[in-house]
Amino acid sequence: MRRTDKYRFWIVIALLVALQFSVRSRLGSARVAPDFLLLALLIYSIRSPAGVSALAGFLVGLAGDALTPATFGAGMLAHTLVAYFASWAKAVFFAENLFVNGCLFFGGTWVRNLIVALVSGKLKGGMLGWELLVWSPLQGLTTAIAGVVVLVMFREWLAVRRADA
Amino acid sequence: MALGQDRYASRGDTAVFIVCIALSLVSMSLPERMREGIAAALRDTVLLPLLELQDQSEQLRTSRARFTAVMAERDSASLAAAFLPELRAENDRLRALLGLGQRLGSGFVPAEVLHQSSPVDPLTLLVSAGHKAGVTPLAAVVAPAGLLGIVRVVNNETSEVVTWAHPEFRASAMAADGSVFGIVAPFSTEGPDVWLLELRGVPYRQTVANGTVIVTSGLGGVLPRGIPIGTIMGVARETEWERVYLVLPAIHPAAASHVLILRTGVGRPAPDDLRGAFGVGTAAP
Repeated sequence: MRRTDKYRFWIVIALLVALQFSVRSRLGSARVAPDFLLLALLIYSIRSPAGVSALAGFLVGLAGDALTPATFGAGMLAHTLVAYFASWAKAVFFAENLFVNGCLFFGGTWVRNLIVALVSGKLKGGMLGWELLVWSPLQGLTTAIAGVVVLVMFREWLAVRRADA
Repeated sequence: MALGQDRYASRGDTAVFIVCIALSLVSMSLPERMREGIAAALRDTVLLPLLELQDQSEQLRTSRARFTAVMAERDSASLAAAFLPELRAENDRLRALLGLGQRLGSGFVPAEVLHQSSPVDPLTLLVSAGHKAGVTPLAAVVAPAGLLGIVRVVNNETSEVVTWAHPEFRASAMAADGSVFGIVAPFSTEGPDVWLLELRGVPYRQTVANGTVIVTSGLGGVLPRGIPIGTIMGVARETEWERVYLVLPAIHPAAASHVLILRTGVGRPAPDDLRGAFGVGTAAP
């Protein structure tokens, strides 16, 4: 791998982080808008060892919790679990396929929201049902679409061998 | 893409994972004040550039929304300003009409000149008062400035008015001081001169100065005396025994939006002499 490829990968990650804090608020309801930060974490995790992914997930969760202190800790736990298992599952089960990656983005978003909702204890009864059956799937879908678009647009830049990431 | 090393999760990976999980659980169990302290510290340091980026983005969005709102307000203000002169003019006309109504006291029917959406005879008008309001044929239709025309056809709710520009219009007229009598008629039946009047039948030996106000004379019993018709502009032509004078009408039909229709005969008719109401000279008997 060329040295510049590594920088390109981080440029894409930085772009996603910037999108999270600049464009996301203009993409409609926060419940449905794609989570670019989680997308960056998942793209990073499926190319990284499980331990590093877990640490990255923990830091992303910490950043998210710092912005929403009411659920402090829930985001860390959720992102750690999602990042770790995304890395592990990608290594064990999945092939390099656009559709599979899309499903991973969708599932990762839904599971993250499920863990946050359950652990934080903020949602109960019908609201929890709506969150898990309506809003989370919708956000998973938009995140998956955004992820597929990113993978297609930056196919060459993101084609980093796992051992080098 | 090459997938992983020989082991998908080494002991080190598992240890890091467990530590992260433990830290997460510890964070959740921290006291509220400590949580808020950590969160605030992160927001003020590591996350500050990202929050500023978010703030800039929000400002940009709200600035555009504010700009759009200001543009809309400016357009509304421009539209209102465009209508302002017309509204002022109409207000002045209505005030003048109210003043005329008060001076007349009684014997009139107020009416509005109705908008005619289809091309019709431009020399006639439709007004919003008819038989039910007490309008009768040949009643004088006046505006604050003077005579506009005569009612020709009366319906239940509306009336058709022949303006002074109509070829069939005639009115017995005199100078405001009563020194000269004649017949007022449209100056021409076509072209721009259709919007002028002429005073016919003035004996050759009599002269009428430019600017003399011409009013209805009341002779013939159709129109009351003293309604302004126009002012003398000059001599239009001369014959062996008479001079015909050009008269600038007191009011243009297009300028009238609200009018008064004078009652005749029935109920409480308008006074026979309206020179006082219109503020013209009363020297003549």
